[in-house]
Amino acid sequence: MSDQAPARDDLVTVTINGTTVQTEKGRLLIDVAEEIGNFIPRFCYHPGMKSVAVCRMCLVNVEGMPKLQPACATPVADGMIANTVSDEAVEAQKGVLELLLINHPLDCPICDRAGECPLQDQTYKHGPGSSRYVEEKRHYEKALDISELVVLDRERCVLCWRCVRFSDEIAGDRFIQLVDRGDGTQILNFTDDPFDSYFSGNTIQICPVGALTSKPYRFVSRPWDLETAPSVCDYCSVGCPLTNETRAGNLVRRQALPNEQVNDFWICDKGRFGYHYVSSEDRLTTPLVRSGEDFEQTGWAQALAVVAGKLKGAANVGVIAGGHLTTEDSYAIGKLARKVIGTKDVDSRIQDAGAPYELAMSLTGVAGSNATIDDLKAASNVVWVGPDPKESLPVLYLHLHTGVRDRNTDLFIVSSSSTSLDIHAAQVTRVAPSAQPAAIEALGDKLEGPTVVCWSPGYAGRDESPTLRAAVALAQKVGGKLLVCPPHAGSQGALDMGLHPALEAGHAVVAEPGRGTRQILQAAADGELDVLLIFGADVVADFPDADLARKALGGKAFVVCVELFSTETALLSDVVFPSAASPEREGTFTNLERRLQKLEPLTKPPGTAREVWKTCAAIASALDEDWGWHGFGDVWTDIKGNVRTHADVDIDKLTQEAPLPHPFDEQGFEGEHPSPLRMSGPGGQYPKGHRSGAPFATGQNWPLSWELRAFEARQRPGYVFPAPEVTEAPAMTSPEAVSEGSFELLSGRLIYDEGAMVSRSAALRGLQPDPFIEINDSDAKRLGIADGDPVIVSGAGNEIAVKARVNGVAEGCVFVPYDQKDCRANRLMSGVDPCVEIRKADA
Amino acid sequence: MPNETLMVMKRLREYPEDSWTLDRYLATDGYNNARKAVADMSSADLIALVKDAGLRGKGGAGFPTGMKWSFVPQDIFPRYVVINHDEGEPGTFKDRELMEKDPHQLIEGIIIAAWAVGANKAFVYCRGEFALGARRLDAAVAEAYRAGYLGTGLFDTDFNLDIVVHRGAGAYICGEESALLDSLEGFRGQPRLKPPFPAIKGLYGQPTVINNTETISTLPHIVGNDAAWFKQWGTEKAPGTKVMSVSGHVNKPGNYEVEYGMSLGDLLQVAGGMIGSKPVKAVIPGGASAPLVTDLNVGMDFESLKEAGTMLGSGAVVFMDDSTCMVRNALLTAHFFEHESCGKCTPCREGTWWKVKVLERIEHGEGRQEDLQLLLDICNSMDGKCFCPLGDASSWAVRSNVKLFWEEFEQHVALGRCPFDDHDEMLVGAHTGRGSGFVGEQNAGVGEEGV
Repeated sequence: MSDQAPARDDLVTVTINGTTVQTEKGRLLIDVAEEIGNFIPRFCYHPGMKSVAVCRMCLVNVEGMPKLQPACATPVADGMIANTVSDEAVEAQKGVLELLLINHPLDCPICDRAGECPLQDQTYKHGPGSSRYVEEKRHYEKALDISELVVLDRERCVLCWRCVRFSDEIAGDRFIQLVDRGDGTQILNFTDDPFDSYFSGNTIQICPVGALTSKPYRFVSRPWDLETAPSVCDYCSVGCPLTNETRAGNLVRRQALPNEQVNDFWICDKGRFGYHYVSSEDRLTTPLVRSGEDFEQTGWAQALAVVAGKLKGAANVGVIAGGHLTTEDSYAIGKLARKVIGTKDVDSRIQDAGAPYELAMSLTGVAGSNATIDDLKAASNVVWVGPDPKESLPVLYLHLHTGVRDRNTDLFIVSSSSTSLDIHAAQVTRVAPSAQPAAIEALGDKLEGPTVVCWSPGYAGRDESPTLRAAVALAQKVGGKLLVCPPHAGSQGALDMGLHPALEAGHAVVAEPGRGTRQILQAAADGELDVLLIFGADVVADFPDADLARKALGGKAFVVCVELFSTETALLSDVVFPSAASPEREGTFTNLERRLQKLEPLTKPPGTAREVWKTCAAIASALDEDWGWHGFGDVWTDIKGNVRTHADVDIDKLTQEAPLPHPFDEQGFEGEHPSPLRMSGPGGQYPKGHRSGAPFATGQNWPLSWELRAFEARQRPGYVFPAPEVTEAPAMTSPEAVSEGSFELLSGRLIYDEGAMVSRSAALRGLQPDPFIEINDSDAKRLGIADGDPVIVSGAGNEIAVKARVNGVAEGCVFVPYDQKDCRANRLMSGVDPCVEIRKADA
Repeated sequence: MPNETLMVMKRLREYPEDSWTLDRYLATDGYNNARKAVADMSSADLIALVKDAGLRGKGGAGFPTGMKWSFVPQDIFPRYVVINHDEGEPGTFKDRELMEKDPHQLIEGIIIAAWAVGANKAFVYCRGEFALGARRLDAAVAEAYRAGYLGTGLFDTDFNLDIVVHRGAGAYICGEESALLDSLEGFRGQPRLKPPFPAIKGLYGQPTVINNTETISTLPHIVGNDAAWFKQWGTEKAPGTKVMSVSGHVNKPGNYEVEYGMSLGDLLQVAGGMIGSKPVKAVIPGGASAPLVTDLNVGMDFESLKEAGTMLGSGAVVFMDDSTCMVRNALLTAHFFEHESCGKCTPCREGTWWKVKVLERIEHGEGRQEDLQLLLDICNSMDGKCFCPLGDASSWAVRSNVKLFWEEFEQHVALGRCPFDDHDEMLVGAHTGRGSGFVGEQNAGVGEEGV
């Protein structure tokens, strides 16, 4: 859907199976044909990757061409006349399918893919009914474990190369390749290297057969037994749309939903496989009220009464929220804090405590981005300021990688630690954090053409105001846009809804800022707070000063915690309310480009756990304020009436309608398995318009292949709310650095760490690397440390023992991944800009 | 009595003792034609001359060489010349002899071609098994550098040219020009999607002209004479001469350089006739890919053979007498293509595998009547549907065997065995299964004489 009709000379007129259409020049025949209802069968073609034309399934007649042409590699040309269903084409398609099947094991009864298998579906529609092959089939060792997450069956493989192309073109990590040749060609990982990609799950989803299957989902369900609802990933702030899929009420699978504006077709393995936390034994199921050393399980009324009692008499209340709350939760927390309790001490920045998002307002009008991911893709220059996006914002990394590879983007990196994009960059500036502003400023003369400056809060515990100020100034100077990348799925929504000491909902500047996370915790530790409300935040694990967090919770303040799990923070609280996890919530997440996307609920929360906004409304009600919220719609009526930036959101438009009945849909299946959400995945824009004529119908009551089902769904691009007028950023006081030591401590997230959700996701447990730190080559030499040596890092009165990796981190700095097993970097931090000492461990 | 017409094979026939040395080359008018081209002719003149002479590619497809050169875009540099010396077609051994015995003729041709298309770097992609030829070429290139025929400032002009000799690792598919380029770049040797064609986007994404060894070796002769001289031989549409690799049941197998258009029967006479004067049962006229012919009156040129339903290909002619089992012939051919299929596209990868299975059953007496039609159907599922000509060609050969010798195939099925003598050595290759066939530094039959 483009904003304006393309100019005339962009159009060509083509005739496909007698239907004449106008379409944009250069599009592929396979897409254009499909758009007007002629689905051409295919295996190797995937709209997210370049055509290779190897499966030969999409051969069609094109007038004037002596041979059949592969529709996936034939751009439409003016006057082209194509026939996709000529006798010759149909015979060729049948022939290719017969050949594909001679060595296929036909073990559909034990194959996970059966029921949503493009090979199966297309064989029903286009294939011969039986095989004339009587000889022994080709054999390989079956069910080869090629990683912790992926199982390979080479006998089922049709060698479409999709997985290999994805690994090369999109992910940029060639862990799997084609091996051997001819009829011995196989997909395989290299001998000793497992398929350790952060994106390996995508190859499972795009595999058109059951050759690559998911270990966590293996033999778990048949696709027709799955209930599915569209949702949004609850990890990082890219906000990839995905599905939640349940069997008998248990969440068993997540798959990427395509959205050209957000994630194309891809999600990372953390998003795809990190769902077991939902059914973790650690989930809280009832409210808990402290009784001495222990907790007592109570009903909601009793726990709410205790909390209301404490709040009524409280003069000083601090409110801290985490990064995984929905927009509605954040709005409710803000309303409870500011309007009901009457405190300004509200913050949602935990690991990123003190991150100066508000500085963006002088360019964007919001504490956030004015660039979208589309802008990022269209830019000729991208400046990346921050730690490795592959670890913290994986799908954004894909966009940056494909930008350099396919869109001629020049990438400029300013980072104090090494990033996965260094090898793709036009320029890498590797300097200590204090030198970053000058490095950013120096780029000003190099950038010509559309530019997007990306800033991601780099290193926990550091004051990054000078860096962000320089990034904003750079964007301003070159007339570029700014992409602010807060860490978590709910982070931007929390800022939008005013969970910030200087900003109210709608990015309205508060006259006198309240206290931020660090000051709130300090106040609690100093005994200045009466009540501390914590929503979905494990401050002990995540705040960049573990000792301060402990002291705050152990002080005289009455601590109320709303949590999914019995985290360390919850266990130190006085009242704990259980909350609902992402697949259980109806809500929205706002991603790093301020795009609202909808989560549809699929499962019930355990016990009496509920959505956080309901808990807030209940606390308000216990304080004699009735918000009149009975459902999701009521929350939005409230938001639209009170948040200036969100006044025009039509929340119904974020909900996917059921697609129109498919002209080829067979009746019966829906009736037997009633589920209003069954087919309501949000679609992307590939290819433009409706997908129709797909081969599902022939599958006789069989559900659609997922890949195709996603296309079928109507577009649901989400909604980027408009930014208000640009305004002066509120002045926040930066605390003085107090920490001393010889190395500046840089700490950023790894994709697989001890985070509350990912560490409770069984499938990803084995993927955590052994704890490590990174130091610079010359520093290592000076200290006599070799790569792999055990070292002791000490700071804030604590020590951790860990292995050293010697690599390209800036000199005088040490990179300690944030949340490693038994090696929590926040224990080494005290105050802002923490420093540490490093010494070689005794042998 | 039909005779040879010697042009590219003249020197090696006349001076078998040292035809590959620079001294001999210089003594026989060597490098004067390259000097003439580079010093006296413009690129446009050269392309016009080669177009005018009607020179056609001698690697198989017969594409007009001058036209191929003229496809190179005017304004994109660098551009490359690549010599396709991956001579892998069964029955073909002409380029091998030309490189082993007259490498300077090839180098001189490369200089001319590079000057014509504006390239300063040329690559020679040698078939991996051709060890002797590669060593002789290496030595000849070194000699040429020392003598100033390669390197910088050739023939007192500002023209520079470097030649890189690269040996393949034993894959027939790397004779397909785009697979050759992938292999040369260090990737899997598999054909590329076209367009873009190599002349526009070839080696390392740059404009690239790819010519066969024999084609390039012809260039000095055209430059040294003129178009009219060249056109005195051959047919109107295929002027000049062609080296035919003759093998099979003939008395004197070997390479023979003859005019285009010479009849198959005359070529047989040039090669000494059939062993024991036995009747000809069938002829493969242009390498293993080519459908069989039985009419010895057919002319050996592109057009005549196309009319006869087959092709000249690389000029590998295999004569078979009536002791030949055509099922076995089909099986050998099918096995070759199965072994050499790159595996990129479905029809070739699976079709070549299946045909071998079916033909093995028929040859070993386990065939069924319906297998004959099955073979034709598999060929239909491949012909014109494969990614590159390898798969298409593999279907032509088998199809012509089945169609022309249907009764013989039926006889195998009816008897439940092969009716011919059991000379199993013919099938050795077919039974050994997979293997690279790469012989490394061994070069059986040619010896290890120095260069």
